[in-house]
Amino acid sequence: MEQVSSLITWRVNAIVETQDPDELHSKYKAVTALLPYAVWRERGGQPVMLDTFLRAAWASGILYFTWHRVDRFVSTLLAKASPRAIVLASPHVPWHLLTDREDLVEQWAAATSAVPHTKEVAQCVVDTLLQIASRRKLLPRITRDLWAWLTKRPSLPPVCAGRYYGTYPHVAKAVRELKDVEVLKSYLLITWSEWDALWNEGFDEVCASIRRDFGETGVDHHWADLIQRLDHVLGQLDLGLEHLQQRNPNLREYDFQLMECQYRKLREKLLKYRYRGHRETLVEANIEISRGSFPVVTAFYILTPVGRRRIPRNVYVRASSPVSIALHP
Amino acid sequence: MLGKQWLNRYASTDMRGTTIERSQNRQRKLDGIVAWYFDHVMELLPLMLQAALLLLGCALSRYLWGVDITVGAVVLGATSSGVIFYLFILAAGAVSESCPYQTPGSHALRYLQPKAQRALHSTASVIVLASRDALRKSEVIRTVEANVEWYHPWWSGGKIMPFLKDIVLEIPRALAIDSYHLWRVMVRPLAALPVGVYRLGSKIFAPLVSLGHRVHSRLHGSSPTPGQGLDEQMTVLDLRCVSWMVRTSSDKYVHLSTLGYLATVMPLTDFDPTLVADCFDAFVSCVGAGADNHGVVIIQGLEELATVSALCFFNTASHLLVTDPTSSVLEDVRQRYLKVSSAQTSLSGHQAYHTMCAAGSLLTQRRERQSFRWGDYRPSAHEQAIVAHNLVKLAQSEYQRTQQVKVPRLILRFALHSLSLDPSPPTSVIADCLSIIAIDLGCDVSNMGSDERCVCV
Repeated sequence: MEQVSSLITWRVNAIVETQDPDELHSKYKAVTALLPYAVWRERGGQPVMLDTFLRAAWASGILYFTWHRVDRFVSTLLAKASPRAIVLASPHVPWHLLTDREDLVEQWAAATSAVPHTKEVAQCVVDTLLQIASRRKLLPRITRDLWAWLTKRPSLPPVCAGRYYGTYPHVAKAVRELKDVEVLKSYLLITWSEWDALWNEGFDEVCASIRRDFGETGVDHHWADLIQRLDHVLGQLDLGLEHLQQRNPNLREYDFQLMECQYRKLREKLLKYRYRGHRETLVEANIEISRGSFPVVTAFYILTPVGRRRIPRNVYVRASSPVSIALHP
Repeated sequence: MLGKQWLNRYASTDMRGTTIERSQNRQRKLDGIVAWYFDHVMELLPLMLQAALLLLGCALSRYLWGVDITVGAVVLGATSSGVIFYLFILAAGAVSESCPYQTPGSHALRYLQPKAQRALHSTASVIVLASRDALRKSEVIRTVEANVEWYHPWWSGGKIMPFLKDIVLEIPRALAIDSYHLWRVMVRPLAALPVGVYRLGSKIFAPLVSLGHRVHSRLHGSSPTPGQGLDEQMTVLDLRCVSWMVRTSSDKYVHLSTLGYLATVMPLTDFDPTLVADCFDAFVSCVGAGADNHGVVIIQGLEELATVSALCFFNTASHLLVTDPTSSVLEDVRQRYLKVSSAQTSLSGHQAYHTMCAAGSLLTQRRERQSFRWGDYRPSAHEQAIVAHNLVKLAQSEYQRTQQVKVPRLILRFALHSLSLDPSPPTSVIADCLSIIAIDLGCDVSNMGSDERCVCV
């Protein structure tokens, strides 16, 4: 009796297994048309078809896998679906077409609190969260609890609409306004990736955040995490465009160069404001100024740009941390 | 008398039963009339009588001329007057279609006249052209001219004898070449003449041959269409009946009941393509100008007929799109639909309008298609089942037509819309929607029956 649905599931799985992006691209409308029925079956205890849909959606490498025609039916779709289905399918909902549907955000938020936390769930929630946040009208609907999902820091796939649109300046600003450095750091760690460049205005907002939020003392371990992340990203970028294109064929030369430029600048800024923070701390604490040992001061001058520009020759750098930090990366 | 007897037999109601059964019986008789060329045979009977009268008149005149010339002349005069009168009405009927004295002969003449004229014209023009061409390129003339030039002045001195000798020697060869060229130019058009005659003859004799085959098959008891089940034959009969009733009746209640029955016929099999146009006409007859002359509205009291006719139009049009997408009827209906749809309408709230738009969207090309949203289409469960069933067939056919690339997006959108409905549509509709998706994904569902396609709800 279920011949057709089995046939469809088998066929979609076969297409996914061929790993031919063109074939998946050509069939995304048909697979999307399947979503309402898959959601309905999942609620009836048969999640196979929904899982197949999700598999196809993630494997497609398309930013918005779902057919835009589905936007008219999202409310009935969510009304029919179980919390699990809502959470797992929501990254593929075209939120950019639902900018005035605050009710759907509330429905989704309710579903996130009703599902057990797993790696897959965290990934989907964060992806959706950033997609919703990128829509100005929907952004105010995101509560502090929802933002807290960022601290789970799931790894997002190479093609991810959430990460792509999550670097809009108003999103970064909203996260900063939470005044929660842990959430902010998680946001930066998630959005800094070798797969996506930052939006121009978003980049400026992130720079401002580095200067003001991570340029002070007392955030050393956050700072180290950010540096580590940037090193990882730059390390991946150093492997070359061809290497990255093996996992994301849509990556273009222009984006690649922009990413290299942006992440190097971010690293420089992170280091620059970090040293400035230390210098100011040294001055404020009125540390005893005396003539320091020649090798240490020379090393500091040579190796750190901050030292070359900011620290007077006669400053005795007793605290070794700036030098060690400057040498460490 | 024989004809009268046959007609009496045809007009008699020799069976009882429901309206549908009686209509089927009537349709069976009508189909028989068409299949056995009843009208031709009926025309033939008076012709035979006339021919017999002519023979009698000729024979009598001939006989009486030998007995008594005066009496013979009178009879000959009467016979000749009859023949002249007959020829006159034959010519009048052939010349003017509105002439009331129409006979089978005048019909035949009218049919043959343009063909004969065309054949004569073409033959004459071919001969003229060929002759001109032959004269222009004539080898004989060229030979004479060459000799005249060579021996100029050929009449002087002793040139005349060699000149004539050369002419006599060379002319036969030139004549043979000219004949060959003339033959080659004329043989093709002239050969076309017997071919045309043969085609015309075969067209005339085809009914007789078909009749012979029919009699032969009847005598040997073979079934008319092997593999056709009884139900299918009855459906074919029903559809012909419906077609006839819709076309001949102008009564709205007859239309409503007939089209209502047509809407229940599933699946549609072989039907007259003009039924699509008839359903379209039935819908168009339900709409009229609005009260303030702005746009068109459905006439009050005809809402039900509009709904049913729109559904039947969708049903028949989509079936014809599958079976014969290049049908001239479809093209005609498409043109008419575009004309109607361009008019300002106030029908958007009516369900029939959406059904018509759905059918129209299937018929028209993408660039001609007006924005149609399945979201506005909220049909009854029965209507939805019919639409879904037809769309599966159409999806299959279009998928094949596009060399297994895709199902039309309009059909896929229907599947998405139907599967998203809350409450969910009937099981058969879900099965059909899944089939549409499966077809687009490249699955073969042609071998699955509708029961097998059903899914557990």
